[in-house]
This record gives sequence, C-alpha cells and structure tokens, in this order.
Amino acid sequence: MTEDLPPYLRRKRSRRYVGEGVLRAEDECLLRGGGGFLGDLPAPDTAEICIVRSLEPHAVVRAIRTSRALENPGVLAILTADDLDLAEDVLPCVDMIPGTLDVRQHVMARDRVRYVGQAVAVVVAVDRYLAEDAAALVEIDYEKLPPVIDHMAAIDPGGTLLYPELGTNVVFQSTQQDGNAGFAPGDGDLVIRRRFEFHRQTGVPMETRGVMARHVNGGARLHVMSPTQLPQVLRRVLASALGMSLDRVRVTAPRIGGGFGCKEMVYPEEILVPAVARKLQRTVRWIEDRREHFACSAQAREETVDAEAVVASDGTFLGLRLTGWANIGAAFGYVPNTPITAMAAMVRGPYRVPNFDARMFSVVTNKAPLNVLRGAGAPQAALVMERLLDEAAQRLAIDRAEIRRRNLIQPNELPLDRGRTDFADAGRIVYDEGDYPRCLEAALIRAEYEQFESERREAAERGKLRGLGISMYVEITAVGPFETARITLQPDGTILLYSSIMPIGQGSETTQRQLVAEELGITMEEIAIRQGDTDEVPDGVGTFASRGAAVGGGVGRMAARQLVETILNDLAAELACDRAALAWEAGGVTLPDGFIPMAEIPFRLATLRQTAQPEKIEARYRLEVLRPSYSYAAHIAVLEIDPETGRMEIPRYTVAHDCGKIVNPLLVEGQIVGGVVQGIGAVLRERLVYNAGGDLQTRAMMDYVLPGASDVPADFRLWHMETPTSLNPFGMRGVGEGGTIGAHAAIANAVADALRDYDVTVDGSGPFTPTWIMEALNRPLRFPGETTYKPTE
Amino acid sequence: MKGPDADEAQTALSVVVNGKQLHASVPDRLLLSDFLRDHLGLTALKVACGEGACGACTIVIDGEPARSCTLLALQTEGSQIVTLEGINAPQGLNHVQQLFQQHHALQCGYCTPGWLMTVYTMVERSIDPNSAEVGQYLSGHLCRCTGYRNIWTAVRRALETTLKTTKDQPTGEKE
Repeated sequence: MTEDLPPYLRRKRSRRYVGEGVLRAEDECLLRGGGGFLGDLPAPDTAEICIVRSLEPHAVVRAIRTSRALENPGVLAILTADDLDLAEDVLPCVDMIPGTLDVRQHVMARDRVRYVGQAVAVVVAVDRYLAEDAAALVEIDYEKLPPVIDHMAAIDPGGTLLYPELGTNVVFQSTQQDGNAGFAPGDGDLVIRRRFEFHRQTGVPMETRGVMARHVNGGARLHVMSPTQLPQVLRRVLASALGMSLDRVRVTAPRIGGGFGCKEMVYPEEILVPAVARKLQRTVRWIEDRREHFACSAQAREETVDAEAVVASDGTFLGLRLTGWANIGAAFGYVPNTPITAMAAMVRGPYRVPNFDARMFSVVTNKAPLNVLRGAGAPQAALVMERLLDEAAQRLAIDRAEIRRRNLIQPNELPLDRGRTDFADAGRIVYDEGDYPRCLEAALIRAEYEQFESERREAAERGKLRGLGISMYVEITAVGPFETARITLQPDGTILLYSSIMPIGQGSETTQRQLVAEELGITMEEIAIRQGDTDEVPDGVGTFASRGAAVGGGVGRMAARQLVETILNDLAAELACDRAALAWEAGGVTLPDGFIPMAEIPFRLATLRQTAQPEKIEARYRLEVLRPSYSYAAHIAVLEIDPETGRMEIPRYTVAHDCGKIVNPLLVEGQIVGGVVQGIGAVLRERLVYNAGGDLQTRAMMDYVLPGASDVPADFRLWHMETPTSLNPFGMRGVGEGGTIGAHAAIANAVADALRDYDVTVDGSGPFTPTWIMEALNRPLRFPGETTYKPTE
Repeated sequence: MKGPDADEAQTALSVVVNGKQLHASVPDRLLLSDFLRDHLGLTALKVACGEGACGACTIVIDGEPARSCTLLALQTEGSQIVTLEGINAPQGLNHVQQLFQQHHALQCGYCTPGWLMTVYTMVERSIDPNSAEVGQYLSGHLCRCTGYRNIWTAVRRALETTLKTTKDQPTGEKE
C-alpha cells in the first residue's frame, strides 16, 4: 500500500538514520579545499602578530628592549605584559581540588620565565614577514636560574623551586581507595613491583592554533575567532580578562583542523591577541607556526607510576597500590591534573582488583604546560594494568587470555561503584551496563588468538620475531555537567540546529543531523546545523571527553523533541482543539481530519494567526548529565619485528568495542582506526625531547616522527557491540578516544611478547623505536634455548 | 615606522596558475604557499609544517607534485602550476573526491587537499594500484585523523578505475 501514502510518509518508512553509515555532508566543502579554517578566512587590513618567546627554560627577566625592533619597517607596536591592560591575567584551570597550590599560567611572562616558548613580548606589524623580522630584534636580558626538567628530581626537597613562595614543586595531590586499602600479601601470593615511565608527547593536529580578533560596531563589541574546542568557555574567560561585559564579547570557532585535546584549553594567545586588537583598535591575527606549536601548545602524557600488585596463585589480582607523579610543566593548563587522576580512576579497567590504594601527584618543571591528549590519562592507566597482567601470567604460567578471564567483572556485577574520585566531574566511578567477558572473547576469536603460537613459529622460521599483545580498558565518556542546544523550524519549513559541539573531524555535523532527522522523521537534507558561535549558543561546555555525539547529539535530539511539543501546543491553541488530538508522526502533524507536513507548518500557523509572514518556531534544551557512561573494548595487536633492522610491522589488529548505541558505524570505525594509529605512533614513534638544560630539541615535524601511511595495520578487524547505556536518553556512549587508549597497552604488550626471549623490560610507553629494538636485541637472551613462559594451547 | 615595503626587493614573476597566465611583482623572499594563498586567494592548499615534511601544501608544478611551503614564489618563473582549485569540478566532487567521501578518507580535512594533488598526479600517470610505487607516493603525506586505512582504499579504487578506463580506451588514444 506504500504507493497510496504521501511522499513524506513513504520516505519515513524507507529510511532510518541512526545506525546507518551515512556519508558526511561536510566532506564536499573540505574536498574542494573550501575548508574555512582560521587561516583561510578573509583578513583584509589585518595586522599580523609574531610573539617573542623565551629561549630560556628558567630565568629572571631583567629587561626587555624593543627600541631597535620598533625602528624596523612595518612595525605597528611592540607590547609586553603591562601593555595589555588586562583586568585579569590568569588563565583558567578547572581541575584544582581543595589543597591544590595555585600555579595557573599568566597570559605573558613578567619578571620570570619558566619554559622555553613562554610569551614575553608581542610584535605587531603589517605582515607576518615584517613582524618576524622585528621580533628577531627584540632584546631580552635574562638572569639564568637552574632548570628543573626531571619531575622525579623535582620532588626532592632542597632542589630548585619553580615557585619559591610555595616551598615545593608538588602542587596537587589526590588519593583514591577502594576495599581494604591497607592490604598486604598473604602466603603464596605473588607480589609484582614495577616502575612505569611515560614519555612526553603532543597532539600535533595538522592545523596549528591561531587567533584573529577585531572590533565591531565601532569598538562596542569584540569578535574573536579561534579554532577552540571550547568557544563558550573562551568567551567567559575573555570577558573577565578584558574586563568587558559578556554580551560585548563574541567568540566564533571556525572549522578545526584536528584537536585531539590540544585545542581543549584557553591559551595565552587567546587573551593577548584580543587584548592587542582592543589596544590598537584594529583587526589582528596570529597564526601559530609549527615550531611554536611544539614549544607551547599543550604537551601530554609524561608521568612516572610505581605499581605494586598482589596476585593470588590462581592469577586473581587481590590488590593494587600505585604512586604516580605527573610532570605537568611550568604552570597549570586547563585540565593538567586530569591525566594523573585518571591513572587512579581508570587503571583497574574491566578487572575486579577489589583492594586499591592510589596516591597521585602533580609536579611542576621547566617544560611547557601539560594538558590532556586523546584518552587523557587512560592510555597510561591501561598500559600499567595490562603489563602487570602479562607479567603475572608469565610468572604464574597462566595463559594471557585466561588470566584476564579470571579477573574480569561479570555483567551481573554491573553497575559497579569503584569509589570516590577526583577525576573530572565524576565524583564517583560507577560503571554502567556492559559485558566485558563477551567483549574479550569476541576479540580473541577475531584475532585468531588460539592459533597464534603456530604463527609465531612460522615467523621464526622466516627469521622474524612475532608477538601478540592483549589489552582491555574501560573509559569514562560523555561527561557532564550539562550541554545545551537550540533548534528552530525556519519560516521556509526547514530545520536549523544550533550546537555547542565543535566539528574537529569527528563528523559532528553529520551525526547530529542524523539524530534530529531520526527524531523528527524527516530527511537530513532538511536540516542545517550551525556550530561554534557564542552569539547563537552562548552557554555550553565544549567538545572533549568523547561527549560530542552522546551528550551533544543527545541534547540536539532532545531539543528536536521539545520543538515538536512547542509546535503541537501552538497548533492546538490556534486550531482551538485538544492538544491530545494532535500527534507528530512521520515528519509532520496528524490532525483528526488531516496531516500537515513539517515544511508547511510555519505557513499554516501564519494563516491561522493572520500574520503577514511565516515565523520561525524555536525550542531549547539543556541536558543535565548526572553521571558519565563507560565505554570499553578489547584490543589485540599482532606485531612482527625484523631483527636485522629493528623495523616493525603490524600484520593484524583486532578491536572489539562497545560504545552503546552507534549513530554512524562508518564514523565510529573512522574514530577507532584513527585512534589506534595515534596509539601506535605514541608507543613506536613519537617523542618530545627536552635536553638536560631544559631546551626543547623537538622543533619541527622532522624531529617528531608521526605515524605514516606505511604504519597502518595490514589487516584491521573491528567488532561492534551495542549495549545501550541507561545513563543517556538514546543509549549512546563516547568513542572518540578509545582507539588510542587500547593501542598503547596492546602494542606495548606485543613488543614485550615479541622480545620475550630477550632481557628487556617494557615498563612504560617507550617509544619502542627501531633504535630501541636494536639495542634490546643486542642484549643477551634471557634464558638461552628456552622461552620464558608457555601459554596453554 | 617606515613603509612596509621600503626595503623589500621585488621581482617580476610570470607564471601560469590553473591555466591562467599571471604577471606579478613579488618580494624575493615570498614563499610560494603565501603567494598562492594570500596573494591569489587559492586557499585550498594548507600550511601545516612549514618545512616540506607533511605534504599538506602540495601542488603540481610542471606535472610534478611539489611542496609550496619550501619554495619561493620566484622559483616558479615560467612554470605551469596546478592547485586543487584547478582540478575541482565546476560543482560537486570529481571522481577521486567522491571516492574519498565514500570511503571516509578524511576527517578534519586539513591535509586532504594535499593528498588530492598527489593522487591527481598518480591518476595522470596511471600508477598501478598494486605496485610498491603507491606507498612511495603516499609516504609523502601525513594525516593525523584517519589512520590512513581509508585513504589507501580510496586511492587504490581511484587507480583501479583509471587503469580500467585506460585499458578500455582504443589503442593510440593515450600516449
């Protein structure tokens, strides 16, 4: 009977959106090169800024001389900290807890510099070339202080202090406990003690940062453009920094060329560029170059963790005790203490480990400020747990899959309260629904785990070292505290969604439109979306912590639901009929005697109201997130080393994961594969290097080896599980970071397994470069002629 | 303050960009990427590393893929330059772009124009999709989002279709 139905009803019945691999609408613009990134925006009559940055890691600033630079052609102004006229010059940090010592960063250095790259002076010129010429002529007199580089040395009393007035370099501490925190090993229990080292990395989005600021309405308002994951937060900070009322500041975030957490921060340049625009009463722009990016965009991951695990002889983990120290650099970023707190919050992952005692510290050093990077601290946490599991399996001669089975939390134990935490806004870690054992088994089958030993032998016959690494994690996603959205039915009968979630490559334009189309029973083509303008969405939290689809998409869909209510109420009032007689069905309103398709509603209302023009109908929604939800996965990496060259290949990589209800499997797969390759890069390639003197040796992409096209696993196997969470109205959890989290531990375990006959320890994130491998292989065999453990077959 | 260009040496430049003959006077030290983006408004190419390491600024000069961020504009005197704007269809997506969309071979899209210029060259040269040459071409580009897997798929499909079209053509049609 479908042919009798009007087109909009046929359309509805033939098409659902949630769960479909819909191609991205945003691709057309990007593929034609019309991206609309900050550097692409028209910038007529715009002065360019070059920032003079400290070349000293730790020094007192005695004098800044600008007279020679001011003489240079094209220079409009040179400003230092006191010239910015700031009402407030401290940048926000949102994860300080009671007892935290305040080392929030100032917009510009005044009397002291604490890391290479810190902003000292600002040169404004008519173009970038001339600004750089002049910047080279700014002279700064420094009185050098000893640099503090190693966080483990920095915690020693009596050493150099970054902030002498605080009396310590340890500025934050957090404790997390569960069960009997005073646990001790019993007779026959195995005790494993390990120190894990995690090296410093950075996100390296392909687009660097940048800020453009201009006065509008004759100086009445300031319009700031920045590719930030937090436009609403930036607006609030800017208003108080500049001493302007909130309504006089507008922040727009153009399209973002990759974020990964790097753009989840309020940076000094986001205050100082607008301050310069205000001071000079003209449009100014600063585009970060790659060397600046390495020096002063958020750095990540660096920490040391001491672990002590008590394991029963059957492989059951009885207790885990951790002490961790994060090297957070010279000052607080936006969430500098989150990575080390995440270590305590998430280290146990899907495993029981009933007794737990963790103490975590943040330590200041003369490096650039630390912030989150994809996965926050969860990659390190999973690596600690998974290395301990492999170590226990080896020492107790238990198969690696089996020891995990014996420790996994069972579905009937969920939801599970894992105790109080200082992590994010979680309050307590309470796992929601899931089936961790099924996830592990799904991965083992797809990875052909049971056949691996014959694969290893076959590789050995070819002279190659093949190893396999398993990892599992539980990840906190879709964090609160809230999110807002606004939606309108436009006078022309189409839908316009205003979202506070930023497009950073994850496809939020498409997923959010899919969710609204599904809710309203219309096509995606009838929905437009606008993002990143604080005039349109003044209140919002931002794009991070894998919350875009689950929280941002959820609130958009709830706003659409609210819009339906508004429309039905308006129509009932105008038609003078019972509201209950009206229903929203299949993209329109069913009346007792007919049907009004959505596109005709504004016109119909205008007719009923006898107004000249159709008007838009608007609804807003604010979604309170009471608790985050927890995604999980099992990763299995197979890695092969060529002992002649140290070259590594990943012949097979398997992921079984559960992010709840999937909106778009094509994009979920894209997030996971991209995340895994970032994790591979982290453990096998990337490293930010500061020398002992505190100078940053990593100055260009040539110095920081990112994974390339040849680093892709040859055979990538992905298995989706979809256990809806009860914590989200649509069952969704987050997925953006999981690939990176799981890959750290899976690759580290695979490296250790491939080298199991050699006397090496894989206690940390490496990176396990070919050089590292060759050094490892040149050591004597641990037990010549025999393997160190034999998995059950 | 002196005038902006007081000390800047300028030189005449004659170059063909996307089929159009241009005569300009440019500062000697002006980078080709800045010339194309800021002076000509051809903003499809992106600058990401500024040292020729990542491929985001790739354009085609006299038939060869080249990094516009490590060349001076003046080095292109007398050359034929093609940028992404020059191979875009009048509207919508060309064949290779469609394949990138279908295989989700882009996420943030910042590196994408550079890849497309290299793939354009590979298609022009009818590179065998199964040859080791493919990896050599792709190794010149970095992407931080996709993990490359879908880029490989899109590129192989693009080359397969070209190969097929080339074979279908009557002999002698192609050089």
